[in-house]
Amino acid sequence: MSSVLIEAPTAPVLTRRGAVLRMLRRNPAALIGSTILLVIAFCAVFAPLIAPYGLHTQVGPVFGRPSWKHPVGLDDGGIDMVTLLMWGARVSLIVGFAATFVSMAIGGTVGVLAGYFGGKVDTILMRITDYFLVIPDVPLMIVVAAIWGPSLFHIVIVIGILLWTGTARVIRAQVKSVRERVYVKRARALGAGHLRIVVRHVLPQVAPLLIANTVLTVAVAIFDETALSFLGLGDPSRTSLGKVIENAFERAAISSGAWWAIVPPGALVALIILGCSLVGGSMEDALNPRLRVAHLSARTFRLRPLVGRGDAL
Amino acid sequence: MRGADYVIKRTAFALVTVFVAVTLNFALFRLAPGSAVTDLSRVPHATPELRQALKKQFGLDKSKGAQYVIYLKQLVHGNLGVSFANEQPVSTNLRVALINTLPMVLLGTLFAIIIGTLTGVIAAWRRGTPTEALTVTSALGFYSMPTHWLGLMLIIIFAGTLPTGGMTNEFLINPSFWTHFRDLAAHITLPSLTLGLVLYGEYTLIVRSAMLETLGEDYILTARAKGLKPWTIVRRHALRNAMLPVATLVALSLGYIVAGAILIETVFSWPGIGRAVYDAVLQRDYPMLQGAFLLLTISVVFFNLVADLLYFKLDPRITE
Amino acid sequence: MSAPLLQVDDLHVWFDLQGGGELHAVQGVGFTLERGERLGLVGESGCGKTTTALAIMGLLPPSASAAGRVLLEGIDVLAGGESTIRPHRWVDVAIVFQGAMNALNPVRTVGSQIIEALELHGVARGATARRRTGELLESVGILTARAGRFPHELSGGMRQRAAIAMALSCNPKVLIADEPTTALDVMVQAQILELLDALCREFGLALVLVTHDLPVVAQLCDRSVVMYAGRVAEQGPVDALYHDPRHPYTRLLFAATPDLDDLDGRVVSIPGAPPRLDRPIDGCPFRPRCDRAFDRCAVEPMLTSLGDGRTAACHLTEVAVT
Repeated sequence: MSSVLIEAPTAPVLTRRGAVLRMLRRNPAALIGSTILLVIAFCAVFAPLIAPYGLHTQVGPVFGRPSWKHPVGLDDGGIDMVTLLMWGARVSLIVGFAATFVSMAIGGTVGVLAGYFGGKVDTILMRITDYFLVIPDVPLMIVVAAIWGPSLFHIVIVIGILLWTGTARVIRAQVKSVRERVYVKRARALGAGHLRIVVRHVLPQVAPLLIANTVLTVAVAIFDETALSFLGLGDPSRTSLGKVIENAFERAAISSGAWWAIVPPGALVALIILGCSLVGGSMEDALNPRLRVAHLSARTFRLRPLVGRGDAL
Repeated sequence: MRGADYVIKRTAFALVTVFVAVTLNFALFRLAPGSAVTDLSRVPHATPELRQALKKQFGLDKSKGAQYVIYLKQLVHGNLGVSFANEQPVSTNLRVALINTLPMVLLGTLFAIIIGTLTGVIAAWRRGTPTEALTVTSALGFYSMPTHWLGLMLIIIFAGTLPTGGMTNEFLINPSFWTHFRDLAAHITLPSLTLGLVLYGEYTLIVRSAMLETLGEDYILTARAKGLKPWTIVRRHALRNAMLPVATLVALSLGYIVAGAILIETVFSWPGIGRAVYDAVLQRDYPMLQGAFLLLTISVVFFNLVADLLYFKLDPRITE
Repeated sequence: MSAPLLQVDDLHVWFDLQGGGELHAVQGVGFTLERGERLGLVGESGCGKTTTALAIMGLLPPSASAAGRVLLEGIDVLAGGESTIRPHRWVDVAIVFQGAMNALNPVRTVGSQIIEALELHGVARGATARRRTGELLESVGILTARAGRFPHELSGGMRQRAAIAMALSCNPKVLIADEPTTALDVMVQAQILELLDALCREFGLALVLVTHDLPVVAQLCDRSVVMYAGRVAEQGPVDALYHDPRHPYTRLLFAATPDLDDLDGRVVSIPGAPPRLDRPIDGCPFRPRCDRAFDRCAVEPMLTSLGDGRTAACHLTEVAVT
């Protein structure tokens, strides 16, 4: 118990989606992040309709320089970079979300089971999680991708299998705390079945945290896909942003001085990851409010002129 | 000694984890579909004698159970097999690769810790000012950049001034100690810088968070009440407590950094463990892969243990 | 007549709230404290008594703003903010916090933290400081050997005594005790109160005791200030407040304390809750919960003097005494 003097505004109620939206609006970081993501997602989703040129259409020389017609120049096949970026974002986002879905499904299930049932189930599941955590992910991804062969499906599964542990831990902690709440105990006492309790009471409370975790996981998934593509283990038939970078690297873009083939795709990936980090991080912060006030900082308390209520004695 | 059984418990857990990792390693490489190790026809230039010798060494003609036992026995003797690619013992290859990776990784980590701590403290200290926003944004920005892409960017920027590939200049013949040292230093700069930049952001956020948490503690108010100057309070009371989670975080991430260096070593052609893994994958050099994998897993377990014990040692509040 | 040791005059404190707006935690509080006098600052949680106490030492967070005067021996130390008040901390006014708090740094020994205070204010250095620390600990009933211990190795009561020893290390003139016994066992509470009593008497210390625990005030203090919703409701000698309260809140507050001597009496509680302080209040802040409210209470009452060193902010004092 600290001598906190402010009547701290109570933590937001987690029941409505409106509350989440309100949290987002109050937070500039979340706002910027969401804007970035929405813009990129829009371009990615509607890429087939709004891309300026064809994805496989050569419109100029290899590594053509940026110009008014092609603001980001051309790649190693003479294809317009803006088109490539849009389609690339589309594939990267698809992979990111798909892999995240896999990891959420596994991690969420494990987390709920471990947190809700506790005891032996919990111990076993957590041991398994610990062992998965210990495995260094990049090498494992490389090995599995190499053994299984490069295809979008395999990549998604591999990434998903490695990312679930983080989700599992977070969800488990939250489920444990929710389980102890009065209304859950009451429901149990009334004889409600486990499934009903989980669906009606536990999940709604866990959902916001799950969403925050999802957003952050998408960032990692996209990064992992980029890394795999760069190492030549990505799906050769699809052009993700990681593949764009890899292509440029392989075709000696750097020595040709064609920085526009390498810098923009990576910058786009960085923006996506940044957007996800901002949104996911803000959501997590909002769900775990720090009620304590710093006693110390570079600023000090301020003074105002005398008020005078006329009753000083 | 305080908490002797805590130490013993954690060490025992670590050993068990290593054992599980070893077994998983075996399962992954010997039992996985494709059973690549048994496909000796993939070994380039394999003479029938070599194939026979390998078959015997790995007991590939025996049952899986017997193979497992042989595998364990060999591990205890430090025999990780022979690399398909250069026909050297895997353990030797790994040792050389590790020696190459460590200085680069340590340098980068040091950079990240120092810059991260500085920026984290500043961000917490100047809470609510544009300085904080700037510090946090740039930390997040660098943290979001794909490692290999950042490396490529640095290559583009510094192409003329610093060497961008390899560990040494192969054209130097019989260099003196100082020339050799300067050459190494020049080559190590960009890879470590890349690593440092990608890592520091996370430390900034952690230090800032820990610092804010600490600055809200009651004893900070007491220190203020005693009449101490603000910066003295930060230095003497807050910093020590705030660095606690950082110390353990650093120990933890060291375990993973070695693995993460794969991307950097590929971009800069650095002959380290990351590159070794990558090359082994490309060349289907399964003994190398298996050995490297095991080494990386053990390093993670090891550093996790270090982190546990470090936290225990540094915080006198934890009794058991 | 010389200036009082401590005088608080029209003190206001506001806190910025996350999401805009501010909380007016202290609204025009004033009182005086003479040398050696013991003053009890009482009220419910959230009434602003702790904030007032902290404001005396300028221990407000960066999100706070303050107005008013805090006069130490006639000099306004609040006027220049942090820079004017810091030189007076610990040497003129010292504070002891609630026992459950993490008031001592957990990773440094108790002794080192006392020595820090001694050396900072030039009271003693090196070996002298160590010796002095030992003496201070002995004076509060702690063995000198314990100086090398960490705070978590001491019991709650011992920690509190160490905190008191540390507070007295630079010979302050005023000691503020913020809920010093609230988190302690009953037996330990009594010991700490006796200790405070003895030390204040021995060193001629003035004491500001902040608490919601009325029997403690009755035991230790000469005068008391009763606060409600950030303002002073009533102020005067403790006996007078207990036997002849003039503000309904004071009366209900004292009545709410169970009396062991009157086992048949009923325990009265005050229904309702204090008003929110992030919006302006219409009229008397206690009106919704008051059992004697009448039409005049729609207008905010002023703090008026009742003679004999008593003041109260209630319209009932202007009506014929019932």
